[in-house]
Amino acid sequence: MGHMAGQSLGRIDDSLLVREAQRGNRAAFEELVRHYDQAVLRLAMHLTGSDHEAQDIYQEAFLKAYKSVGNFRFECSFYTWIYRIVTNLCLDHLRKRTVRKEDAPVATDASGESYDLIDRVPDARSGANPERDLMRRELGSRISRALQRLTPRERMVFELKHYHGLKLRTVGEVLNTTEETAKNTLFRATQKLRGALADMR
Amino acid sequence: MKCEWVQENILLHVYNELPDDARYELEQHLARCSGCAAELKAARKFHAVLSDLPVEEPTPNLLAASRMRLQEALETTAQNGMWRRLMFDPSAWFQQIRFSPALAAVILVMGFTGGVGVTYKALGGKSPDITALPAGPVAEASIGGIRSITSQPGNQVSIKYDSISTQETHGSLNDQRIQQLLLFAARNNYNSGLRMDSVDLLMQQPNDTHVREALIYALRYDSNPGVRLKALAGLGGYVKDDVRVRDSVLEALMQDSNPGVRIQALHLLDPVRADSSVRVVLQKLAESDQNPYIKSQARLEVAQLPEID
Repeated sequence: MGHMAGQSLGRIDDSLLVREAQRGNRAAFEELVRHYDQAVLRLAMHLTGSDHEAQDIYQEAFLKAYKSVGNFRFECSFYTWIYRIVTNLCLDHLRKRTVRKEDAPVATDASGESYDLIDRVPDARSGANPERDLMRRELGSRISRALQRLTPRERMVFELKHYHGLKLRTVGEVLNTTEETAKNTLFRATQKLRGALADMR
Repeated sequence: MKCEWVQENILLHVYNELPDDARYELEQHLARCSGCAAELKAARKFHAVLSDLPVEEPTPNLLAASRMRLQEALETTAQNGMWRRLMFDPSAWFQQIRFSPALAAVILVMGFTGGVGVTYKALGGKSPDITALPAGPVAEASIGGIRSITSQPGNQVSIKYDSISTQETHGSLNDQRIQQLLLFAARNNYNSGLRMDSVDLLMQQPNDTHVREALIYALRYDSNPGVRLKALAGLGGYVKDDVRVRDSVLEALMQDSNPGVRIQALHLLDPVRADSSVRVVLQKLAESDQNPYIKSQARLEVAQLPEID
């Protein structure tokens, strides 16, 4: 799909909307959400591999943003601020996953690969699509498994740089670190991935 | 030595993160060094492998569902620190006031009317000697807000304030000024009759992308269903050509509070009903919509859809 629903009125300056939202104007906040929510969903979907988990991250991120927009002091761009909120939620998700893996119920599929049973629970929520999640998981499973070998931060840096095209400088800002650190993390992540994927061929 | 540097920077090069001079040097080296060129090839191949896990766009269905869920939650969530963000920021104001006898004679009484305006009143014995003021007091009703108060040498005070004035303009629908004001009216006016009139006039020019955006905005946000219906009518013809229009009509079908608007949206989507995102929504409505007319219409449409290949 190319253009997405509701990418309208992008002409309105974000800073105007932010100030309005800070005054309690909910419609302004909702318009602000529309400027960013596709990117947020895209990131959460790709990182978690699941529509319904992506929706949870989406919900939490924007609620958090709404509650604390009053504390936003324009010290960075709103874009960076939102990405920071989402990234932190994604990091939490990644950390939970590593913990859960230890005692999650596991089964084996037709090709002999093991997978978390929890990941296969169908979700009746509107918009979530379990069949698509499944397909996605099977196609990219080799890559997914390689990505899981990275630490949460390595995964995040790689995700933001490689899959979402953020400049390393922005990646640094989003993760509250320097561009240099982000660069080194990217190198490490890439080396690990190349190693992991070479094994798996 | 050079190869080492190049190999370290190939990754950055592939991600387009090298500054121009470094990139130039690297490219020069690659042209002469087969070892490094092979390394670049390997790096690019690795990139290709990674696209086995492509980034997908969220479907309109998922996006709309997420937005709806968020909207519901926002209705019951309060913001923090809201009082600090009313139009007049007290802490900034205190910083600007310097203590001086002239200022001591000026007492500001502010009414917090939710950001509509700040009333200004001067109390005390001696009023400060302010130069460059128009003769006579400023009519309170025309004060839009106080911007700043600073003390000047010689016991003077300087106050900046905004004033509101009503103006009128004439022109044809093609005038840029008229267009601009119509767009503003469609979105901002409290009077729904006025919003309806402006949407009406705007509908005559839906080729303009700003106008389309305003119509989409009206469809999504206007509280008056009549205005939303008008916006729908204006957008209907563009459902096939413009994906944004299609998606906003789809959204109206899924979540508008007014059944008349939803039904109209359903009919307007007819030319694009075979689109996958529309199809998904139709199927869902056919299964479980509360409105019996919409449910049966959706069922009919689904039945007529060609098989997915």
